[in-house]
Amino acid sequence: MVYSTRQIGAKNTLEYKVYIEEDGKPISAFHDIPLYADKENNIFNMVVEIPRWSNAKLEITKEDALNPIIQDTKDGKLRFVRNCFPHHGYIHNYGAFPQTWEDPNQAHPDTKAVGDNDPIDVLEIGETIAYTGEVKQVKVLGVMALLDEGETDWKVIAIDVKDPLAPKLNDIEDVEKYFPGLIKATNEWFRIYKIPDGKRENQFAFSGEAKNKKYALDVIKETNESWKHLIAGKSVDSKGIELTNTTLTETPSYSAAAASAIPASSPREDAPIDKSIDKWFFISGSA
Amino acid sequence: MSGRLLGVARVFRSTQYRCFSTVRQGIKYTPTFKQYLQMPNNEVGSYFHDVPLEFSREGATINMVVEIPRWTNAKFEISKNLRLNPIVQDSKNGKLRYVNNIFPFNGYIHNYGAIPQTWEDPTELDTVLGLNGDNDPLDCCEIGSTVLGTGTIYKVKVLGSLALIDDTELDWKVIVIRCDDPLAKEISSLSGVEKCMPGLLEHTREWFRKYKIPQGKPANTFAYNGEYRNVEETLNVIEKCHASWRKLISDQIHEDSAGLPQIMRTGSSIILEDENFLPATIPKKVQRWFYV
Repeated sequence: MVYSTRQIGAKNTLEYKVYIEEDGKPISAFHDIPLYADKENNIFNMVVEIPRWSNAKLEITKEDALNPIIQDTKDGKLRFVRNCFPHHGYIHNYGAFPQTWEDPNQAHPDTKAVGDNDPIDVLEIGETIAYTGEVKQVKVLGVMALLDEGETDWKVIAIDVKDPLAPKLNDIEDVEKYFPGLIKATNEWFRIYKIPDGKRENQFAFSGEAKNKKYALDVIKETNESWKHLIAGKSVDSKGIELTNTTLTETPSYSAAAASAIPASSPREDAPIDKSIDKWFFISGSA
Repeated sequence: MSGRLLGVARVFRSTQYRCFSTVRQGIKYTPTFKQYLQMPNNEVGSYFHDVPLEFSREGATINMVVEIPRWTNAKFEISKNLRLNPIVQDSKNGKLRYVNNIFPFNGYIHNYGAIPQTWEDPTELDTVLGLNGDNDPLDCCEIGSTVLGTGTIYKVKVLGSLALIDDTELDWKVIVIRCDDPLAKEISSLSGVEKCMPGLLEHTREWFRKYKIPQGKPANTFAYNGEYRNVEETLNVIEKCHASWRKLISDQIHEDSAGLPQIMRTGSSIILEDENFLPATIPKKVQRWFYV
């Protein structure tokens, strides 16, 4: 597959949208990209939303047809993640696995909390900074179970198959071996990242422990099953998620014509980010 | 790479030191790049010699020239060898230098820069520490909330310092905060830093200790057991280095004059124009995180 991106508007504005294209034609970042790039070898397609060391909270939207990546807003204002010392922005290339859904209608037997209604999140730990809308092939290494305001919000830990260290990383213990301190930093980062916005500290299930590859693969499989239900129109409550797709001919939301309704590319130079986003927050007892 | 940036506004914003601006030549992130100080009369000046120190013991304030914005990697510094001391990217064996990302940090963790009209005299042995100066202006680390641009000049408040030993040379790192920073009123000392920014001083020492390890160098060490020096002691160091600078500029240093910094100042009627080139791309390998 050759994936590319189609950018509408300037980054850091409300107009900004990034669609993923396949052979130049817009597809759904949520539904059309296959979860597995190589099922036999457990290589997955990951859609990158947020590059490492940046602050804009970009995500695959559930509201617009073909689910472009847009910047999240709150009360009409663009959302940026705040810098919690000693971290700068997001500390991984942050994104999602397509064709997965954390079903909000179902509590997970281990975490006892319902899904957060999003595709499953992925933290890519390779050395290169990714770009928004990049489709990476990744190896899964483990998973952490964040409980974000009471919902299960799995964070799959993965690495780009092209990273120089990828051949050496096969399971969660290899992460600690080659990236000592990263799991602890990840844990801390997700616990405190909403504190500057006046929210409480997040919690992790399993005492913050990262589960191994096998557990992660099972979780991904479950969220893939939930998505299959969703896209087939069989979910108890699909929460109004935009299900339009251009490749899944068997689904009720298939539309060959959807791609032609997407506006042409109109990239603009990045808009400046307000200087207040530079601020480092010192959360007592964290650093 | 050779395209031109739109707009030519290079005059500093109002919160900065008002009368100076800057002029850039060549392409950023290549050896051709030079960023000069521009004097109020548009003549080129020296960041090293023509920006006033404006030392105030009562307010514990000085001026600072920003070389490296926080969270960036390119090692920009005031050149000693080039006439009028423009800011250039440091190079070693012909290769441009970038500081490595030391986990959990991204690039430099402060706005890093130099204190104008100061000089760590390499010909003089520090009487307490028995070390020679590193032949550079004093380095400083600005810890305020805003990321500051290369070549900008700010009035800053002195908070303390760390005596790094680089090879066998003394290389002070002065901790400062921009006077206009929202927290500047609350922070006047090292304990103020610790109160408002818990962990910053410890991580700063850690950063300086480790930052050259990825290049195969040993960990840096510090004088005074790595303890921070307080405001008063730091002001004494600045005053002493200002006196050394006066000696340098009045051509009173006679030893080893080949390695001494250029001392040419403004007044030569040199006017340069900003070339407005787009920057080159920073090599991808600079993005790597090192776990040391």
